[in-house]
Amino acid sequence: MVKIALEWLASCAGCELSILDLHEELLDLLEHAEIVYAPILMDVKEIPDDIDIAIVSGSVRNEDNKERLQELREKSKTLIAYGTCACYGGITCMADLYSPEDLSARSFSDNKSTEPAEQPSEVVPELLPIVHPAGDLADIDYFLPGCPPKEGLIKDVLIPLIDGKVPEIPKKSVCADCHRQMDHVEFDKLKRRVVGDMDPEKCFLSQGYICLGSVTLGRCGAMCSAAGIPCHGCGGPSLDVLREPNHDVYNCLVNRIAHLSKMPHKDVEKQIYDKGHLVYGFVIGSTIMENKKVSLIPQLIKK
Amino acid sequence: MKQIEISPVTRIEGHAKITVQLDDSGNVSDAHFHVMEIRGFEKFLEGAAVEEAPRITPRICGVCQTAHHIASAKATDAVFGLKPPETAEKLRELMLLGQYVHSHSLHFYFLGAPDLVMGPDSDPAERNVLGIIKNNPDLAKMAIKTRAVGQHITSIIGGKPVHPVTAVPGGQSKGLDAEGRDKLLNDAKECVGLVEAGVEVAKPLFEEYADAIETLGPVETYFGGLTSGGKLGFYDGQMKVIDKEGSMVHEFESNDYLDYIEEKVQPWSYMKFPFLKQVGFPDGSYRVGPLARLNIVDEVPTEKAGALYGEYKDKFGMAQNPLLYHYARLIELMYSAERAVELLEDDAIVGEDIRQGVDSLMTRAEAKESNETLRGVGIIEAPRGSLIHDYETDGAGIIQRANLIVATGQNNLSMDIGVRETAKALIHGEEVSEGLKNRLEMIIRAYDPCLSCATHMINGESPLLVDIHDADGILVKRHVI
Ligand code: SF4
Ligand code: SF4
Repeated sequence: MVKIALEWLASCAGCELSILDLHEELLDLLEHAEIVYAPILMDVKEIPDDIDIAIVSGSVRNEDNKERLQELREKSKTLIAYGTCACYGGITCMADLYSPEDLSARSFSDNKSTEPAEQPSEVVPELLPIVHPAGDLADIDYFLPGCPPKEGLIKDVLIPLIDGKVPEIPKKSVCADCHRQMDHVEFDKLKRRVVGDMDPEKCFLSQGYICLGSVTLGRCGAMCSAAGIPCHGCGGPSLDVLREPNHDVYNCLVNRIAHLSKMPHKDVEKQIYDKGHLVYGFVIGSTIMENKKVSLIPQLIKK
Repeated sequence: MKQIEISPVTRIEGHAKITVQLDDSGNVSDAHFHVMEIRGFEKFLEGAAVEEAPRITPRICGVCQTAHHIASAKATDAVFGLKPPETAEKLRELMLLGQYVHSHSLHFYFLGAPDLVMGPDSDPAERNVLGIIKNNPDLAKMAIKTRAVGQHITSIIGGKPVHPVTAVPGGQSKGLDAEGRDKLLNDAKECVGLVEAGVEVAKPLFEEYADAIETLGPVETYFGGLTSGGKLGFYDGQMKVIDKEGSMVHEFESNDYLDYIEEKVQPWSYMKFPFLKQVGFPDGSYRVGPLARLNIVDEVPTEKAGALYGEYKDKFGMAQNPLLYHYARLIELMYSAERAVELLEDDAIVGEDIRQGVDSLMTRAEAKESNETLRGVGIIEAPRGSLIHDYETDGAGIIQRANLIVATGQNNLSMDIGVRETAKALIHGEEVSEGLKNRLEMIIRAYDPCLSCATHMINGESPLLVDIHDADGILVKRHVI
């Protein structure tokens, strides 16, 4: 039996849940694999030796997270960075938009409902100055982004991996799975998501709403756009953004909008009102994104 | 002085540990519950367009994601002064019920029940849902099926099974069609039956563990939660606070929460300790969640859950014992399934009017000039208790300040006291059995704490040690399959 470990670092537990969302198929999975460690489900307190496949979710926020990640790497044959936090830092890395002092103040000393106090420091682990994707601090064998990865991906990828096969997996962007019609439309203003009525059949970008579908890996099946909501990029960057040093989430998005709307690039850039949360929200902590020559991330983060 | 440490506390959501201090004669001098995690959402929401908050905040917690999504959407309604149409309110309530079915069944069957089904002293390797799958596959299947209904509801109404997206300022982005309704109605009806069967399994366990219920985690507190007209409900209502005897001490609207609730920081935990401002700390400590809600309401307004509630009330009255959270949770699970059926049988659920929008917004430059501030507070009952999202924005709706009080925080002091008192009663000397340590964890588990929700964060001093090698400054060691 293949021995599997599930470890979570700084995360929301959504990744663990996505595995439980296999529902009855979980029982089939357990016929091939034995879960030997998973703090959300079982009481084993120490990471065991000789793990075949370790699945780590979340980002590295504190010293504890870092040690656990290193220990997991040493004790496992295959390490999978599971979910966008583990692969690219995910939303937790939005913390890097602000200085550590400001973050601390908002919670403990300058907070509407809190008696001002020093930040806790007894017993609790020390926090790192910035947040890291797990993949930036350990050698990872496979990256499976998604916030969280979707059921289909788990079936198509995780289960074959457990069976010792190299799975075939989709490499398209979200747009490729989206039912909406993309159109050249001339407009000169980008719209906020609360303004106006959205056409349910037409591409969001063609309507002047910011949608990250074209720069995002599409393993979710374009779920949000089907539900009437523009893509926020939770699946992580698309493969061309990842592979091409001169492609970046932001500049690809600007190009796409300029192309569709016939607006000058400069105007598009002026109108993207929030690069940090809206465009780089899920990848801001990733060195792979930050180190691109064209990336604006270094200007946005306050170390 | 010796210290006993239980780390990590397992079968809960998030990172925590318990420490127990022994004096020279081996008696417990102190014990604490420490929350080890913090991420900083309150600060990093600043600068985001407020309509993004319902998408960002579910990532506070992947277990009570829908609760954050909806509390956040309610706060954005208030920021823009929008009133969602009736259908949208019902869809949101249904989505929230999906959250309850998933979360309560996850907690009961997957996290909590193994202690009761397998026994608190059983082999820790078996004392988990995997052990239940092995030893009682029928029960495990029932658990999986029940939870699946919750996730289907979230997925169909919310667009995704984890981190839903459809609640937007002023309503919902997507309605429910007749086909989806039929499917969910079948599911919800089946769920009522599944919960009935679950209750049959659980009830004798509460008899069997009557002793543990009496003794583990003793504490007496105030209780708080939302109710409309004394009825159990999760989506809306007024905040009501009662004292230890059950008399009402406060009733207030969401906007006024700052007059009643204050938080204290303690040096040993990243999670803060909310308390009733007018009573003070620590006497004003209060609890939220299933146990609190059933203490606060006068009625559970569905048939089967109502009957269970009557029985429970007769037996326990104003319940204080944390292990009864499990019992209360099951009653709420029943209510959630029945209320989902009610909503799905209501034709308003397939209505087409689902969203009130805004016509135009100030630009950021205009907002700077105008100096106007907007504020919106959204409160709902999350599975673990009252959840508050409070946003202040500029005139363009860009967040300037956010305050979040999550359910679990409000139970923090009771968990801490419960661990200490139990440790004092049970631990004498350094030799502590695994089963005994597990009993301390059972106290924490009863509250179903969601520590990922401990949203606040800080820095550390240590230097950063990251090596990035590559000619072009690009990480090459990465391999994307
Ligand atoms: S940009 Fe968004 S709406 Fe347009 S095709 Fe891509 S995913 Fe669909
Ligand atoms: S559409 Fe975008 S935001 Fe939505 S699930 Fe897919 S990748 Fe994530």
